Amino acid sequence: MQQSASAAPAVTPPKSPKAPSGTKLFFKTLMKQRALVMMSVPFVIWLFIFRYLPVWGWTLAFQDYRPGRSFSEQEWVGFKHFAFLFQDDSFYRVMRNTFAMSFINLILGFVLAITLAILLNELKNIVFKRVVQTISYMPYFLSWVVAASIVMVALSPEDGVVNQVLMGLGIIDKPVMWLGEGSYFWGIFAASETWKNLGWNTIVYLAAITVIDPSQYEAADIDGANRFRKIWHITLPGMRPVIIVLLILNIGQVLETGFEAQYLLKNPANMDYAETLELFVIRWGINFGNYSFATAAGIFKTVISFTLLFAANSLAKRLGQDRLF
Amino acid sequence: MAKKRILLLLLSVVMLLSIVTACSGNNGGNQQSSGNNSSGNTGGNAGGEETLEPVTFTFFNAGSSRQDVLTSDTDIGALYAEETGVSFQIEHLVGDVQTKIGTMIAGGEYPDVLVADTEIDKVVEAGGFIDLTDLIEQYGPNIKKVYGPYFDLITHRDGSIYFLPFSPQVGEYIPSPVIDQGAFWIQQRVLKEFNYPKIKTLDEYFDLIRQYAAKYPNEDLVGFTSLTHDWRYFAMTNPANHLAGYPNDGPVMVDMNTLEADDWHNNDEMKRWLKSLNDLYHDGLFDETSFVNNYDQYLAKLTSGKVLGYFDYGWQVNQASQNLKIAGDSDLEYFPLPIVFDANIKDQYLDPESFVHNRGIGITKSAKDPERIIKFFDYMLTEENQIRNQWGIQGLTYEVDENGRFYRTPEQIEKLRDNQYKQDVGLTYFEYYWPMWAQSSTLSDGNAHSPGRQPEVAQLDFTDAERAALEAYGVQTFSEMFSESDPRPWFPAWSIAFEQGSQEQIYEQRREDLVKRFLPRLTLADAGKFDSEWETYLSEFEKLGYTAQYEEYLSTKLKEKVAAVSGE
Repeated sequence: MQQSASAAPAVTPPKSPKAPSGTKLFFKTLMKQRALVMMSVPFVIWLFIFRYLPVWGWTLAFQDYRPGRSFSEQEWVGFKHFAFLFQDDSFYRVMRNTFAMSFINLILGFVLAITLAILLNELKNIVFKRVVQTISYMPYFLSWVVAASIVMVALSPEDGVVNQVLMGLGIIDKPVMWLGEGSYFWGIFAASETWKNLGWNTIVYLAAITVIDPSQYEAADIDGANRFRKIWHITLPGMRPVIIVLLILNIGQVLETGFEAQYLLKNPANMDYAETLELFVIRWGINFGNYSFATAAGIFKTVISFTLLFAANSLAKRLGQDRLF
Repeated sequence: MAKKRILLLLLSVVMLLSIVTACSGNNGGNQQSSGNNSSGNTGGNAGGEETLEPVTFTFFNAGSSRQDVLTSDTDIGALYAEETGVSFQIEHLVGDVQTKIGTMIAGGEYPDVLVADTEIDKVVEAGGFIDLTDLIEQYGPNIKKVYGPYFDLITHRDGSIYFLPFSPQVGEYIPSPVIDQGAFWIQQRVLKEFNYPKIKTLDEYFDLIRQYAAKYPNEDLVGFTSLTHDWRYFAMTNPANHLAGYPNDGPVMVDMNTLEADDWHNNDEMKRWLKSLNDLYHDGLFDETSFVNNYDQYLAKLTSGKVLGYFDYGWQVNQASQNLKIAGDSDLEYFPLPIVFDANIKDQYLDPESFVHNRGIGITKSAKDPERIIKFFDYMLTEENQIRNQWGIQGLTYEVDENGRFYRTPEQIEKLRDNQYKQDVGLTYFEYYWPMWAQSSTLSDGNAHSPGRQPEVAQLDFTDAERAALEAYGVQTFSEMFSESDPRPWFPAWSIAFEQGSQEQIYEQRREDLVKRFLPRLTLADAGKFDSEWETYLSEFEKLGYTAQYEEYLSTKLKEKVAAVSGE
């Protein structure tokens, strides 16, 4: 390289664009895009400080961490906290609850949000459409503290509206203690989650629908397709990329769904079904002042989420679908 | 093109610079504020004792949630600010104490003065409090006088004093005339209906409720309700201990002679208590919403007047009983009873003279001027200022008669029922959560340290219905209904601290989980299924596997405390 540069500078120019070596190309492109690179530097630094430096904190998981002591004074304990996590009886109950509620959430979230988005899209009356849309995403802006109180009041066995309606319809003959029976909890969770987030979730699908080329519908009209055919053959396939990407992203977050709602709706009677991994971590980690354990659980969660994310992505790849990366 | 590139370059340079300056700007801010700190510090030192230069310290109180305040905005606080120049910006707990204190610890930044409530051990462990020993030696003659007898108990195992508890006894011990501790409460109308019967046992108590409910079947009455929400669930489990004739030692029964601690959660007393509730449930009189109600809903339920009886601690239901008093239907007010399992058991609901040494107020390592704070604490502990903190201002919130007895006029009592007024005066903020004499203390002139314990005041605070009931039972105050407390020098066992993350702590958490899960299963068990559920509970309890060591640990600690208290 040096030789050619010094001996015959005139020869190199035609050569290099054809077959530049890796590093050379890299630096050349770098020079070309130096303005872009410099503009991105602040964000890379930001990313590094806030996303990568904290990973250093993972060392906590392998110590008996005591706040207020310097790093060298901490006691190292290896995998003790992981062992505690996996050996606790309630851990498996907690994992079952976490997965169950996440999947209920995932499936309901997708099916209902997509359905509602399509229904809204088919509406001809714009005013009615806007009204429905606004009403359905209003609860999203309620804090869970408020939402949970509403749910609790609605389900109250004494004067709750749910019991009154059901009794009025003759479906039940005495008030049901909805929140007092563990096995109802997942259903209640799903219903309240849907009520709160459904409208909001439709927004992105509605946006996806608007990108679909109207000429496809026109073509379908000419071919004599009815509404359902158009939905099935044009709208849904048109939304597919968005659906797949969101699905992959959501699968990666399976272990993170569910903190506030469960925290606020749980009580001694339904705890067996309400406690999720995050509540478990709060109880044993934060409330206990056991930050090491909380970190260990955090690492566990990250590993699972990572695995799920990659699994979902490669599955999408293998099925020949659009994917995240 | 070239121009554009230069522009872009410039832009990115500017952005980079802005980040750098933002960071350094931050540093500058920090430096400045720490500069302020140190200047405040030197000011305090240089001025010596005479300095009155106004200073405001920050104070976080995790022990209660009320309106935040700058103390000098209250009448009492204004007097302090005038005399010492010191005022405090008090911030109270909103939400969850563990999270709030946990965040402070993790961040290593504290207010100047901290009441960490249940989380105090964590703060100590994390080095959040400074050692007060030398400061007290140097600046705290009054602190030494008041806390001196307890130095052994408040000294941490590393030899330092990190915080000052709220309960050092000064002078004679005065029991509370009202029940702010545990009791079985029953509605006045029930007692009235059956002409104030003398009831002592749990069976008699529940029978009375059954009879009343049977007499008025159409009033939609709730026989008995319980509080199970979050950490307050002990209001449902502790009766097992009380009914057997023990005071609130927390999770254990302590043998008076051998000082052996016995975890009662798997005892027959627990079974007997829950079985009674189960029976009551099958009679349709136990409120099953007990397990779904949160604290607020529980209080609302008590205030509704539909509930005939409940067990709880006076301090926990204070809000509901005050509201009932204000509402004015005296039939719906509750009357406390010392209920036990069997007639031959002596009730021990009243707290014995005690020293709670795992709660207190400390100066943190972030404090600007610890000397000035400790001097203020010392100043507060004079008798004159203790009167000010408890009784308020003479002529405004209390009066002194010709014999030197303190009292309050009916108007003053009425006015002080208004929380806003009490806050404006400052009593709300000064009567607790500071270095102080125990509220059961006696002043040097024989007056009660705390107005609530002065008979002249307590009598006036009773409503007519309460007086009628007391008269029917031939007593002057509620506490006379209860047996006197036997001396228990270790009391309370729940104030024994565990090391963070210790096996004992883990055991307590596991036991709590288990008990909480089984409370509804046992209480609401189907007819005939109770015994088998109880067996399941016992076998799960067995699996906790640390009960013996836990009891052993507590017994040792109790004996140490007794030795420390009586060894003086």
